[in-house]
Amino acid sequence: MPTLLEAPVKPAPPAPPEAASAPPRPGMSEDWLALCIGLFVFILSLGWLFGKDILGWAVTTSVWTTPAKALATASKSYANLPGLVSLAATYVFMLALLSVGARALRVSVKRFAAGFTVVFALSYLCWFLGSWAYIAATPDKRAALKIPWSLNLTNESGFIIALLAGLLIGNCSTRACSLLKEAIRPELYIKAAIVILGGFLGIAALEQRALATSVMFLGACAIIAAYLIFWPVVYFVARYYFGFSREWAAPLASGISICGVSAAIATGSAIKARPVVPIMVSSLVVVFAVVELLVLPFAAQHFLYHQPLVAGAWMGLAVKTDGAAVASGAITDSLIRAKALAASGIAYQPGWIMGVSTTVKVFIDIFIGVWAFVLAWVWSAKIEHREGEKVRVSQIWQRFPKFILGYVITFLLVLALGAAVPALVPKIKASMGEANVFRAIFFVMTFFSIGLLSNFRKLWQEGIAKLAAVYVLCLFGYIIWVGLLISWLFFHGVLPPVVKG
Amino acid sequence: MPEPKLTDELHRMETEYEPLLPIERKLIWYTFVTGVVLLVALVLISRAFLK
Repeated sequence: MPTLLEAPVKPAPPAPPEAASAPPRPGMSEDWLALCIGLFVFILSLGWLFGKDILGWAVTTSVWTTPAKALATASKSYANLPGLVSLAATYVFMLALLSVGARALRVSVKRFAAGFTVVFALSYLCWFLGSWAYIAATPDKRAALKIPWSLNLTNESGFIIALLAGLLIGNCSTRACSLLKEAIRPELYIKAAIVILGGFLGIAALEQRALATSVMFLGACAIIAAYLIFWPVVYFVARYYFGFSREWAAPLASGISICGVSAAIATGSAIKARPVVPIMVSSLVVVFAVVELLVLPFAAQHFLYHQPLVAGAWMGLAVKTDGAAVASGAITDSLIRAKALAASGIAYQPGWIMGVSTTVKVFIDIFIGVWAFVLAWVWSAKIEHREGEKVRVSQIWQRFPKFILGYVITFLLVLALGAAVPALVPKIKASMGEANVFRAIFFVMTFFSIGLLSNFRKLWQEGIAKLAAVYVLCLFGYIIWVGLLISWLFFHGVLPPVVKG
Repeated sequence: MPEPKLTDELHRMETEYEPLLPIERKLIWYTFVTGVVLLVALVLISRAFLK
């Protein structure tokens, strides 16, 4: 089974001239690849600024009662294109783009293409099913769709269906997973989606600058919460009450408090833990992230629908791993908007709740490298004093999640362009609308891949109960409540803008 | 090299308990207090300057 783990960044050693049997050079990291893919889609979408609708043929799925009418192109410029042709074109484009990526990662392009075809097809099928009117329609749309009832889950229920389908396949057929393994890359998909999302959030920030400033400010507070308030308590609980060794307690604390997989790996290598330690912690993090993903958005919908941004911030602080956090933000966004509309008749603008979750998560990610550096210094200088060993500052850059650069670039570029030339804002909006089509597809593939990778059998594995007990106690007894309190302190009473007209 | 089993690891941790060192206590305590102080300061700043 593949894991969500990425190979640590190491410079390639110089190859000797006769290196016929030398190990293959490491490929590009998923981080850099996600940045390139996200930026490529973003740049193509900006064709609108030059009068070129480059991505308008991409497929969108509207809420449907008749399957034949569900698929359409993203832009009216390509309205003559049948929905299925648009779907095929989208598949071919993404296959080509990601196959180039697979080559850069130095994995088998053939196997990747085969796996990607299945992942794309099943993910999109889930997205399509999730758009069925009886599942997705909000109360205000029922009359137009001529249906008496619906589950009111919006078409983003496709994410949940994809997750459940992935879980079913992943836990019932390990053979299927191993056949698809080259294409099961939730971290790659979500990071590419986050880069694209930067532009989308840039537009939102352009229209609501005061609110965007508050969101950024909360992002800074999230760093403090994750590294300085969550981490020490989890480390203490693991060491003092559960008797874990330092080698296990530090990656476990980082996995539970900061950002699941990448933080556990960075910490593991900072304190020179054996590789098996962060791997074991990571597999646990992924499984629990799925549990959170299935529970917290519905809890937020039930208890926090009148405080949407508190709910968004809560998802970013409480749900671990980038994929699950941003994904739960997306589900919470749709669930809360649907509930607010049904219960109070308020139609909030889409994207704000997810934007808050994403911003919180991205800010937390930024400091993983710094934290790994601090721990490496404390461990080598104070705890396991190693003579002559130096902790290099370059480690901060090595551990920096590079895809965040893409998020910052797309966010700032859209913000700067819109602020400098307000007349361009409608065109930028159209551009981001088209890029957003690919963001949604990357999202649904992330959900499906997370499901495939979540091996619940691990929970029954002998011995993992103690590890899981720390996780359950700290996550459900401390982190989600403190996360909720912090989100409440900063966002209660602050509401997203409502849809005009 | 065979991959260590989690059960063996846990058993080893029980028999070879590593007590919390003073430096670990310091790390936990200083980090937590710094976090709380900074968070309170940021809450006050947000109340004063952000709407």
